[in-house]
Order: sequence, then C-alpha cells, then structure tokens
Amino acid sequence: MTATSSDRPFTVVSLLPRLLNTNGDAGNARVLAQRIRWSGHDALVVEVHSRADLPEHVDAVSIGSGTDADLVPARDALRTLVEELRVWSNSGVPILAVGTGWELLSWGIELADGSVLEGLGLVAGHAVPRAARATDDIIVASKYGRLIGFENHARDYVGAEASPLGRVIYGTGNADARGSGPQIEGLTMGEVFCTHLHGPVLARNPALADHLLQAAFTRSGLDYSRGARSESVDETARAARNQVAVRLGQLAE
Amino acid sequence: MRFVSSLRYAPAILVGRAVRVLARWRKPGGGSAIPGVVVNRIAPGFLAATLNGFPLGLVIVTGSSGKSTTTKMLVAILRAHGLSVFTNQSTANISQGLTSALLEQVSLAGTIADDVAVLEMDEGHGAFIAGSLTPRVVALTNVMVDQIDRFHDSEMVAALLAKIAARATDSVVLNADDRYLADLGSALEPDVAVSRYGVTAEVLAQYPRGLGYADTAPTRLPAGSGLQLTRVVGRDADVQFATGVHGIRLPARGIHYAVDALTALSTASATLGDRFVPAMACAALSAMPAVFGRGEVVTVGGKTIEFVLVQNPSSFQLNVDSLEPGTEQILVIIGSDVRDPSYFWPVNTSGLGHVLIASGLKAHEIGLQLAYDDVAVDRIEPDVPTALDAFLALPDPASGVKTIIFSADGMRRTRAHLGLVSNSEDPV
Repeated sequence: MTATSSDRPFTVVSLLPRLLNTNGDAGNARVLAQRIRWSGHDALVVEVHSRADLPEHVDAVSIGSGTDADLVPARDALRTLVEELRVWSNSGVPILAVGTGWELLSWGIELADGSVLEGLGLVAGHAVPRAARATDDIIVASKYGRLIGFENHARDYVGAEASPLGRVIYGTGNADARGSGPQIEGLTMGEVFCTHLHGPVLARNPALADHLLQAAFTRSGLDYSRGARSESVDETARAARNQVAVRLGQLAE
Repeated sequence: MRFVSSLRYAPAILVGRAVRVLARWRKPGGGSAIPGVVVNRIAPGFLAATLNGFPLGLVIVTGSSGKSTTTKMLVAILRAHGLSVFTNQSTANISQGLTSALLEQVSLAGTIADDVAVLEMDEGHGAFIAGSLTPRVVALTNVMVDQIDRFHDSEMVAALLAKIAARATDSVVLNADDRYLADLGSALEPDVAVSRYGVTAEVLAQYPRGLGYADTAPTRLPAGSGLQLTRVVGRDADVQFATGVHGIRLPARGIHYAVDALTALSTASATLGDRFVPAMACAALSAMPAVFGRGEVVTVGGKTIEFVLVQNPSSFQLNVDSLEPGTEQILVIIGSDVRDPSYFWPVNTSGLGHVLIASGLKAHEIGLQLAYDDVAVDRIEPDVPTALDAFLALPDPASGVKTIIFSADGMRRTRAHLGLVSNSEDPV
C-alpha cells in the first residue's frame, strides 16, 4: 500500500467542505498541500462530497466543523465513507478532525433536547451539551509544542481522557476544570488528531502540521523536511501565536 | 390617526429632553443614548407608539448583510419622490438610540413631522423589539453565515427574520435568490403582499463562488414577477422594471452593491405604490455619494486611494472577486474587531495576488492566510499609522489605484490617522 510519491502528487482529501467549513477549517487541507509543495513535492487537494469524488490514493485527510443544522446530513454523508475512514485510520493515514467533524467520528452527540445523534464510532468518547458555549482563545501544551487556537463549541467531549492531544493552559478544551485530573483538550488515536481548535489550526501551529506530514511521507517511504518558504511563513505564525500568548499572560516563544 | 393619545407621553418627552441637556452639559457631544434609556424606563410604550404613528408608516430593512447601504439608498429614493423621511443608523442598543433620536424631533403630542420612517435593524435586536411594532413594509436582504459568535446558524437567522417579517401589515420585500428568504416568503400569511427581486441566471453565472448567501435558491425569479438585475459591469447595472429597463450607477463596484440597489428599488416601489417612478428612483440612486469606507475613493496629500470595507467573510470574498484586475498597490488592515482570526479563512484571498503591507492588530494572522493562498506579502507591520505612512509614500501605481482593504477597526484607525472628516452618518 505504500505508494512512492515520486510518480504521483501527494493527495490531501478535504472531507465534506460544503457542510463542514464554518470557520475555514477546510483550509487545513490547503495548509498541508502548500507545505508539501514548499518541501519540493507535488500536492493536490481533493474535495470529497460523496464516494464518487474519492481519489485513488489518499495521503492525508482534513475534516472541518459545521453548524448544528448540518449535523445529520454531514453524519449521513460521512457514514457512506466509514469503511474508507476505518482503513485510513488503521493504516496510519494522518487525519485531522475539528469540532463537529470530530464529534461525528465519535460514539455519538448528545443534543440539547436530550436526543442522541449516533456517530461513526471511529474514536472513543462522545459529546455532551455544555451549560454555556465556550468561545475564546485556547492554549494547549502538547507533544507538538504549545498549540494556540480559538475554540467555539456548545458541547463538551467525554471519554478522551486516555489519549488527549494535550493539557489546557488557557481556555476550556474538552470540559471545564474539575476537582481531580488535568484539564485536557482534544483526542489522538494513532495518526488521527481531533481538536476543538477551529479554523486554521495547522497554519497557526505548523509543528502539528509537520507531524502529520511526516506521517504521510513515511508511508510513502520518504523523509519530510520543511521547505524554505515554510520557514518564513512559520515565523509569521509564531508572531501570531506570541501575540495571543502575551495577551493572555503567557511567555512568548 | 397620527396622534398618540394626545399628550400621554408629554411628561416622558420633557424628562428625556431635560436629561439630554444635562448629559450634554456634563459631556459635550456625548451622552446620546442616555435620554433614551431614561424615557424607555419611564414610558416603555413611547418608542413603539411613535414609530407606528407615521402617515406612510414604518419601513424596516433587515437581513445579514447590506442593511446600511440598502437603507441609505431607500431613503435617497423616497426623498427624491418628495417624502420627508425619518431614519436612523442601526446601533447595538437600537431601542435606546432610536428613542433618543426621536426625542430630538417629536412634538409633545408624540408626533413627528416626517411622512415615513425607514429603519435599519439588526436581525437579533430587530426580532427583540419587532413584537411591539407594526411596520407597513419589511425588506429582507439575505441570510449569510457571518457573525458566528452571535448567530450560530442560518436557521436561527432565518427564524429571527421570519419573526420581523410576520409583523408587516402591508408587504414583505425579499431576495428571491436567497433560499432561506424564498422559503420564508412562501410561508407568509396570504393577507400580506410579497414583492420578490432577484438577479438573472446570466448575472449569477458571472460569480462562480455565488453571491455569498448561506444557501442560494435553485431557480431564478421568472421574468415579469419582480424587479430583476439583468446586467452588472463595474459600477454600472441594469434593472428590469415592469415598464422597461433602467440603468443605474452604483456608489461602488461590486455585485453586492447592485443587489442592495435592487432591494432599495423594490422596497421603494412597495412603499410608494402608484407614486413610484422608476426613472426618478434610478436617478436618485445614481446620484448618491459613495458610502464611507465601502468603496469610497478619497484623495489624501495628492494621492488617490480606494477604501474597501470588509465586514464579514461574504463581503470580503465579493470584494476580492470585484477588485479591479491589475491593482498593484494593496494594503490590508485587519484590526481588533476580528476577534477570531479563523473568521476570514473561508475566504479565498488568492485573487489579491500581491499585498504590499498587512497591518492592524491581526496583521500576522491575515499575513498567514495570505501566504497560504499564495499571495505575496512584502511586509507585515501591525502599527497602522506606520503602515499607512509607508503605503502613502510610495509613488502612484502604474496600474489601478492605491487600495486599502480594512475591517471596521482598520477603517477607524485609518480615518483618524489621515485626518479624514468623521462621517456624520456613522454610528456614534
């Protein structure tokens, strides 16, 4: 299955960008493709709205966040791709899922009216309503550096305690701080990364993007190295992160 | 009857005026909403009673985007038809601001000399106060997913608009190209007239990314069933009326201004009925000066600059797509008003090609987005005055004019730094 990429471009799939792109999360597919190009390889983004759009090879997958009005159509569309999603996640294809895109991969979503929308059951845990919407900057300490983003969600996530993406330094993350245990954000499972950090999380946090790209390159028997253009763009990202960090009383990087 | 039960509100009006004098005494030029707060507290019925008392009634303009421009266009058209119009800028505290503005002009009997009131209303606050109002005409512009922190989805926005539309006593004017509004129109009570307007399939085809609506209606308005926009080229547009085609000159380039004009013309027609004269309406529209900061061309120190205000992702996209090809000097200023930098990521900014300076509090954030869209950014300078000075110091471009694309905060800082006269129509 490990196709070499010398004879074909890297293919980044953007799943359901019409339904799941409220905050420009689908832009994460564009970020991955650009960084691949800047590293000296061809890359293309394939928008997948239904099975008919599926490309032959898939090197990375981005799933964005949508509105609650689109939860059912998005879930139903994702269900038709559940076999592919399972194969990708089991074979180490990096997948980024943001917000409701993540919730739909879980066991299910408990809605404010008490009903439950069944998820795809690909990752552990489920989403439950919050008392008040969490809308603010968020800072997370992770293996991939200090991640800085923006969260805007009306539900908590329960059941990610075994393998979170990181620990919350500022913000809400999966749930408000409780008496026991650390306050955590996100979920990881192999190369599947789920997070509340919406919008261009990979542009603002290129270390996480490069981890996903390293996974994709390794599957193709290649080594990923950051291109020169990435280096200057990453300086801009660092300045953007530092501005938020300093405003929230944290040290600059 | 225009009289609001004779002198019922006279004491409250007098108190409000006294408060206004005191507020201005304490803080010259300020305190404009305070009298409204007081009067709304002591006479809660004053606002609705006065607004409902105009001889030609109350006209409400609401929707996600285009309200301000549409309202100004509508007022210009009605005034050209000889009407005296009471109008007010939408503010966050619409009830208090309106009450204060009405206090300036109301007689002690609670009446105002104007013929008609035209009000721009934010969908949220509009739905909140609509229950007490009886507008004769309600105009709906569109449903766009923009203010993601406040209105979480299109259904919620559509429901708020439906609540306002349900108060119309005479007619509802709506954008037939917006699927949510088209559906809303079909569900209205039969005793209210529905005036629809829309663009032709040819016009829509010019905009491959659509017109920015949360959902575009699958079909176009059939010819002859309402005002149609049949052509848009630069600042010129053609509108098909029942009696024939008329050309209009828009206050700025862009399809959204053309649709705003169409909304204003349809609403004027619904408001004036037989008195509506298309040629007069189009002439009034074409004579309007550019709305400040929304495509206005200004001259500063001998340099010509075009201002482009982006208020939400849809208007950002439409402005990028409408930019004059070959514009070689672009400054982008995104300020503190864009709370969440993710906000603009759905926009494809690649059409900008080359940006000389990214500025504002969110300079790095917008610089990051531009870089990933393959737009060359020469410099990132968060300090707005420094960026403006550097931008203006450059010799005039060989092609296009110096163009500044800014958020509302960027606009305020730009105006302050360049010493441009404050626009009296701007919200205080």
